[in-house]
Amino acid sequence: MLSRVVVEAAANLVASRQRSALALLGILIGAAAVIAMLNIGAIARNETVRQFRQLGTDVLTLRVDAPSGLGSFRLADVEAVPQEIPAVLDIAPFVLGGATLLHEGMTGMGTQLGVTASFASVARLRLREGRFISAHDRFELYIVLGAGLAQQLSAPYAPVRVGSQLRQGRYVFTVIGILEPVLQSPMMPVDVDGTAFVSIANMRRLMPDPQLSMAVARIHPEADPGAVMAALQRSFAPKLRDATLSLQSAKQLLAGMQGQMQLFTLLLGTVGGIALVLGGVGVMNIMLVSVAERKREIGVRLAIGAAPGDIRLLFLAEAVILSLAGGALGVLLGLGGAYAFAGASGWQYIFSPSAAPLGAGVSVAVGIFFGFYPAVMAARLDPIEALRSE
Amino acid sequence: MLELVDITRSFRVGPGTMPILRGVTLRLEAGQLVSIMGGSGSGKSTLMNIIGLLDKPTGGEYRIDGQDVLQAEARALSRLRNRLIGFVFQSFFLLPRLNAWRNVALPLQYRGLPEAEAKRRAIAMLGRVGLADRVEHMPAMLSGGQKQRVAIARALVGEPAVVLADEPTGALDPKVSQEIMALFLALKRELNVLILIITHDPGVAAQCERRLLLAEGTIAEQPPC
Ligand SMILES: Nc1ncnc2c1ncn2[C@@H]1O[C@H](COP(=O)(O)OP(=O)(O)OP(=O)(O)O)[C@@H](O)[C@H]1O
Ligand SMILES: [Mg+2]
Repeated sequence: MLSRVVVEAAANLVASRQRSALALLGILIGAAAVIAMLNIGAIARNETVRQFRQLGTDVLTLRVDAPSGLGSFRLADVEAVPQEIPAVLDIAPFVLGGATLLHEGMTGMGTQLGVTASFASVARLRLREGRFISAHDRFELYIVLGAGLAQQLSAPYAPVRVGSQLRQGRYVFTVIGILEPVLQSPMMPVDVDGTAFVSIANMRRLMPDPQLSMAVARIHPEADPGAVMAALQRSFAPKLRDATLSLQSAKQLLAGMQGQMQLFTLLLGTVGGIALVLGGVGVMNIMLVSVAERKREIGVRLAIGAAPGDIRLLFLAEAVILSLAGGALGVLLGLGGAYAFAGASGWQYIFSPSAAPLGAGVSVAVGIFFGFYPAVMAARLDPIEALRSE
Repeated sequence: MLELVDITRSFRVGPGTMPILRGVTLRLEAGQLVSIMGGSGSGKSTLMNIIGLLDKPTGGEYRIDGQDVLQAEARALSRLRNRLIGFVFQSFFLLPRLNAWRNVALPLQYRGLPEAEAKRRAIAMLGRVGLADRVEHMPAMLSGGQKQRVAIARALVGEPAVVLADEPTGALDPKVSQEIMALFLALKRELNVLILIITHDPGVAAQCERRLLLAEGTIAEQPPC
């Protein structure tokens, strides 16, 4: 009996296919918007977590700003921090600059960091080959390259490797290490992949007035970043004179980004929800037209012995089929849209397995909600009046 | 057997009420072909709606096979209509999206019969009205007379106590009307069913064994032809 109702409802929808298609389109757009937004939200959340995975969240960055531009730490002050504030496990100050490197006729442009030996461990850099700068050979002309920069400098016949010689200005550096590729972290002022690392001593050779203006610190995973930041401010205040110290915590940044993302998802989800409601109103409208048009059929069915419940079921089935079909297409379109969005923004696509049941559930709910009133109207028709109507 | 006792029906019109049926008393037996004539607006369709359980009288008693059918609530009323009444309308009123046998099977479907059984009975009934070779036809592909035959099959398939036909030949030409009347005569004998025909056509009424006239809100028996 129910299967018969479904077949008849579907046949009626097919018979007025233009109208059905329009109502379906409304639901389709709404469901697609909701599903795409939920999926993109999940993709974005995953992406933020991924961006922080390499560096970790137990990290702070420090920057000194002088009134006239970048300020500078004293190396000794920075290196004393772990003794002074036990929650800071390790700290790596660095000088930021730019580099133009030459190798076998290839030119590589990138950022350059003058670092101490601790930078590799604090920033969790992993080496594909070779080793990082160490305290013992900080006066040697040694250089470590990010994966992208090494690639950029490699000639087809002469790849850059440990031992390769690179020219920078008047100096010739020997490559002692090449890093594994890493995602750019929102915490770091540079893209590690496109960076050349040298010792701070070498940075003084390359730049007229290098400023030790930044540092990365690894703090205890259990430590409260807010408290550590306050302790750092207290400790540096007397040492920096008129310069100011800016601090950023990975944990707080991540929380902020996730909060923003959530707000964004919520906003777009709401837009999708509104679209879905409008789609539902479209279904209701079309069902009301259908009821008005088929009054006589309703009268005949009632005269023949259909109970009001049978009539209600028939029209409700139409509304639900309509919104279910729209919902199913909408889920496909929404997932496709999210996939395209991930592709376009270079993010990693993750499939939301809840999309299909959610989309189906929501659209059935919309169909029942908005189909109920027209179905009840149909079931309440007086058979005599219905039969008399053209 | 249908029993109507002192049935009245009046309609609210503006501030007052307008009596249409002023006390109809009738006994109708199974296996009869009965005609009701009367002027336009005399209340024939009103009476038909009451007999067909689509409308409730303002007063009076109505029993089918001894059962008081005026007390039934909506759901029970649907069931009573489904079991006891068959309708035939002037303009056929077939459902345009269902083919002939599905139209005929509709009352059985609402009765909850399995589809295979409903189909078997519908096709058998179509055979009885002479449409064995039209069971899969859509209504749009049938002539007026054929449509009315499908409608008659639909009215009879559930083996009702009474078939109510409101001007069943009104939309058909004389030759086809004659065929439909012949079919009614054959079927009421074959199925021992009460057939009540509203008509304006004295020729149609003349073929019925009982002729009733509705005038002034009451029923008068007319002599057999
Ligand atoms: N719902 C209603 N409200 C008010 N008046 C009504 C209603 N239904 C019927 N009437 C009135 O009752 C009277 C009888 O109507 P009915 O349809 O029974 O006539 P009829 O005998 O079938 O006429 P015809 O031969 O033209 O079909 C008419 O005057 C009509 O206006
Ligand atoms: Mg009438």
